Amino acid sequence: MSKILEVKNLRTTFFTHLGEVQAVRGISFDLDEGGILGIVGESGSGKSVTSLSIMGLVDDPGRIVEGEILFEGTDLTKLDQREMTKFRGNEISMIFQDPMTSINPAFTVGNQLREVIMAHSDLNKEQAHERALELLRMVGIPDPESRIKNYPYQFSGGMRQRALIAMAIANNPKLLIADEPTTALDVTIQAQILELMRDLKDKIQSSIILITHDLGVISEICDKVIVMYGGMIMEKADINSLFANPQHPYTRGLLLSIPTNVTGKKKRLVPIEGSPPDLMDPPSGCPFSPRCPHAMEICLKKAAPLFKISETQEASCWLHHKDAPEVKGFVKVEGDLS
Amino acid sequence: MRNLDFEFVDSSKKASKEQTRRSLTYWKDAWRRLKKNKLAMIGLVGVTLIILFGVVGPWFMPYSYSDQDNRFTNIPPRFEIYAIADDGYVFLSSQYNLILVSEKGELLDKLVRTNMDAINKVYTYSYNGEDIEVDFKNRLLEDDGGIDLKVTYKGVTSEYPTKTVSNKTFVWGSDNLGRDMLTRVMYGARISLTVAFVATIVNLIIGVTYGAISGLEGGLVDDIMMRIVDVINSIPLVLYVILLMVLIDNRGLWTIIITLGSVYWVGMARLVRGQVLGLKEQEYVLAARTIGVSKAKIISKHLIPNTMGPIIVAMTMMIPSAVFTEAFLSFIGLGVSAPMASWGTLANDALAGLSTYPYQLFTPSLAIAFTMLSFNFLGDGLRSALDPRLRKG
Amino acid sequence: MIGYYVKRLLSALFTLFLIATLTFFMMRAIPGGPFTREKPLPPQIIAQLNAKYNLDDPVIVQYFSYMKGIATFDLGPSFKELGLTVNDLIKQGFPGSMKVGFVAVMFILLFGIPLGIISALKQNKAIDHVVMVMATIGVTVPSFVVATLYIYFISSKISWIPITGLSNPLAYIGPAIALSGYSLSYVARLTRSSMLEVLRQDYVRTARANGLSEWRVIGKHALKNALIPVITYVGPMIAAILTGSFVVERIFSINGIGRYFVESVNNRDYTVIIGMTVFYSALYIVMVLLVDIGYSLIDPRIKLGKRSGD
Ligand SMILES: Nc1ncnc2c1ncn2[C@@H]1O[C@H](COP(=O)(O)OP(=O)(O)OP(=O)(O)O)[C@@H](O)[C@H]1O
Ligand code: SF4
Ligand SMILES: [Mg+2]
Repeated sequence: MSKILEVKNLRTTFFTHLGEVQAVRGISFDLDEGGILGIVGESGSGKSVTSLSIMGLVDDPGRIVEGEILFEGTDLTKLDQREMTKFRGNEISMIFQDPMTSINPAFTVGNQLREVIMAHSDLNKEQAHERALELLRMVGIPDPESRIKNYPYQFSGGMRQRALIAMAIANNPKLLIADEPTTALDVTIQAQILELMRDLKDKIQSSIILITHDLGVISEICDKVIVMYGGMIMEKADINSLFANPQHPYTRGLLLSIPTNVTGKKKRLVPIEGSPPDLMDPPSGCPFSPRCPHAMEICLKKAAPLFKISETQEASCWLHHKDAPEVKGFVKVEGDLS
Repeated sequence: MRNLDFEFVDSSKKASKEQTRRSLTYWKDAWRRLKKNKLAMIGLVGVTLIILFGVVGPWFMPYSYSDQDNRFTNIPPRFEIYAIADDGYVFLSSQYNLILVSEKGELLDKLVRTNMDAINKVYTYSYNGEDIEVDFKNRLLEDDGGIDLKVTYKGVTSEYPTKTVSNKTFVWGSDNLGRDMLTRVMYGARISLTVAFVATIVNLIIGVTYGAISGLEGGLVDDIMMRIVDVINSIPLVLYVILLMVLIDNRGLWTIIITLGSVYWVGMARLVRGQVLGLKEQEYVLAARTIGVSKAKIISKHLIPNTMGPIIVAMTMMIPSAVFTEAFLSFIGLGVSAPMASWGTLANDALAGLSTYPYQLFTPSLAIAFTMLSFNFLGDGLRSALDPRLRKG
Repeated sequence: MIGYYVKRLLSALFTLFLIATLTFFMMRAIPGGPFTREKPLPPQIIAQLNAKYNLDDPVIVQYFSYMKGIATFDLGPSFKELGLTVNDLIKQGFPGSMKVGFVAVMFILLFGIPLGIISALKQNKAIDHVVMVMATIGVTVPSFVVATLYIYFISSKISWIPITGLSNPLAYIGPAIALSGYSLSYVARLTRSSMLEVLRQDYVRTARANGLSEWRVIGKHALKNALIPVITYVGPMIAAILTGSFVVERIFSINGIGRYFVESVNNRDYTVIIGMTVFYSALYIVMVLLVDIGYSLIDPRIKLGKRSGD
């Protein structure tokens, strides 16, 4: 299976006037063609910054300071903005968290949809209009012929998100990044949008990165998952390994904090005790150490490397080190990779 | 051998590692941010200077705003002096008065003009019984050949000024009645700033009361009060200020203060009402209401302190605009009456002689611009320092 | 939609009515009659004049006849420039004021908005600093200072630029600069901050994420939104420019209504003061009304019939 995306040692920092915010601190992962990768982590863990880095949309004063992002072999970090526009909205597209603010209030939905279509194809205005209608139908907007003329303020939140999804899939992207597409919506609407995503996943054959707070959603839709914390990857695994056998204290905490019945009613994550690290001045060792029940001396000094637990699972925790004390459920693996 | 690195750490040690977030109070935090803002600091310094200039400045001046010296009218801050033999220096004012000055630039006396030969453009003045002839033909020519005046004294003619000196008697020059401009601009600062501050405070009181009542009462009262505000808002207020000034027809300080103070409170009222509506729903106010605390108390205890930030910003912006409006009124002849003078009056007085005595306009204008600039910088800085949206970390 | 316009129109008329009433009674409250002069006129002449202008009628009667006059666009006679009516003065002065005002408004729109946009796009670059320093000076230096400095440094030094009057096109430069200085700077600042605010918005990021060219992102998506607050300001500003030219007309000796107004204030020519105030207010209200209506056509989000600004 070939890789559509490979992220290598990505490091993104915001150089604010108060200091450097190290939002993403050297993460690596990849995505198989046709795969669906989930990213979880609590607020501020760097999920959005990761996806914006892939899109080349990190705002000032932020910058990718290190690393490579290979999309079908092309290193996106080497491209300038003009070259990136050929990828954005075309080969790679993105759905954002808040549909209320992510759609331009000053233009009709149709206008914005046509614009995306025409930016990346040779269709003329009428053809683009037809395509736009088709897309609106695909994302389940009733009566698209009249709705296409509406301004966003005439759309509800759920409908806006549908319209934004329509824009994102307009040019059959090879990679679709959805950054918490449901967080800002009502619970019932959330379910509908997820249903739509699931539905589209089969139709459009894109590879997908789905960012969410909700492990329940991950378990239903994704086949692999990354757990992020403090700008770093804590655990990387396929869905089954992660849920059956979490190998990082933070992942465990996350799993404990959701209702036991994973397929049941979804709830927003109940955070683990304590607060996430200040990325302005991150702890030198493992970012989770201040909150970790098993923190050891070394955890305060040095972040753990990713220990390979199995073919499908890696975890960044010193508990896997051969010298570490036994803790129930955590396996030891050979070799200190640092 | 056990690896010490892999000892568990106890929880007390961990706690110390945990990030302690800086928790500053609102005002300390705002001040910290304000201090970082260079322009705001420049503005603050400017505001301080201009206040000192008006309040303290006049104490150090040998003149009062009404002291006249009719020998020395319309003398600029810098002028060219011509040596008259070894007996001193003279300077010809633009009114063709010959002024005896010291080498350093102190004005000593006005010399008596004994003869005016308008045809040859030679005026004669008398000094210690000797004649000084001043030939100013060249001054009036397009092409003066580099010579301005020819001053002849005791048979010696000097065609070039000895040097240019600064006026030591009237540092910023004198006006058409021989009053010291610097002193007048200082007193002008007093007047302009008094008008601006008091009018702003009057506006503040009216606006805050009006807005708070409107917001707290809600319902019909709020509707009516806001309708009134809408009507006032749709009127060009400058006209009303002018009408009021004409109506009261008394060029006193208080007239301007009352007029300005009674007209420009609408913005403040809206601002406060908006804040009140936002705060009203918050728990502590609800709690205060349910336990039957009086409205006046709610206003003074809860709402005012919480709406302080935006109010301070609005006030900082209102002061320069009051200075501006006052100057404007004075400029169209509705200012404070003579011999007192605001900056606007000074500028207005200077307008007639602009081409000959531009310095008389520049100093009050500069003072106005400096004040407006300082307050604006400070206000902009305060706005971003007190902006609740930026209150993080 | 139509209902909204009717409502706006009615409230404008009501405001105007209030203004006229208020102005009328304010002027009647002045002690001494309109014929009080420094050198008192003989009593019989005053009586004659009073009779001529119906000033011996009860105030309420005068009020109604005045209101009737306004309703028929007759603002009454001048008491100082005998033989002239307020309408005459307005007819004489309005064209000059309009011409200068128009040039000033063009200055503002053609320079203020582009400068603001450039400044925002080049935030914290040299050009941004230059524009913002200029704009800050522009909003802080009063128009009479700008006007006098212009005369002193430019038109009195350069012989082919007229100092006063409106004799040739170059003569408009000074008045237009003085008149537009404040608003031009304000519009530049407003456009800049509005643009910066809009550039931070999520929908701009969406536009970029959709792979639109930078030109489209800024020239289409950001600009239209950024201009909305600017237009809100520009509406009343146009009215204010057209009505706020007192100082500039005086300094440049332009025969405009602003100058006549100041003269009437200095002469205490009460009917002219009232008449001009009513005229100015009407102009202002009509301009704001027009701009509001135009605005509601531009911005789809405006909920008609709702009070804005709350
Ligand atoms: N423009 C910016 N300037 C400075 N810091 C930023 C900026 N954008 C993000 N950050 C910082 O980067 C860190 C990661 O933010 P990010 O938005 O990626 O979190 P997230 O995981 O997406 O959280 P959420 O679940 O709330 O969306 C945060 O600490 C945030 O404060
Ligand atoms: S590395 Fe240490 S602190 Fe971090 S999760 Fe593992 S045990 Fe806890
Ligand atoms: Mg996010």
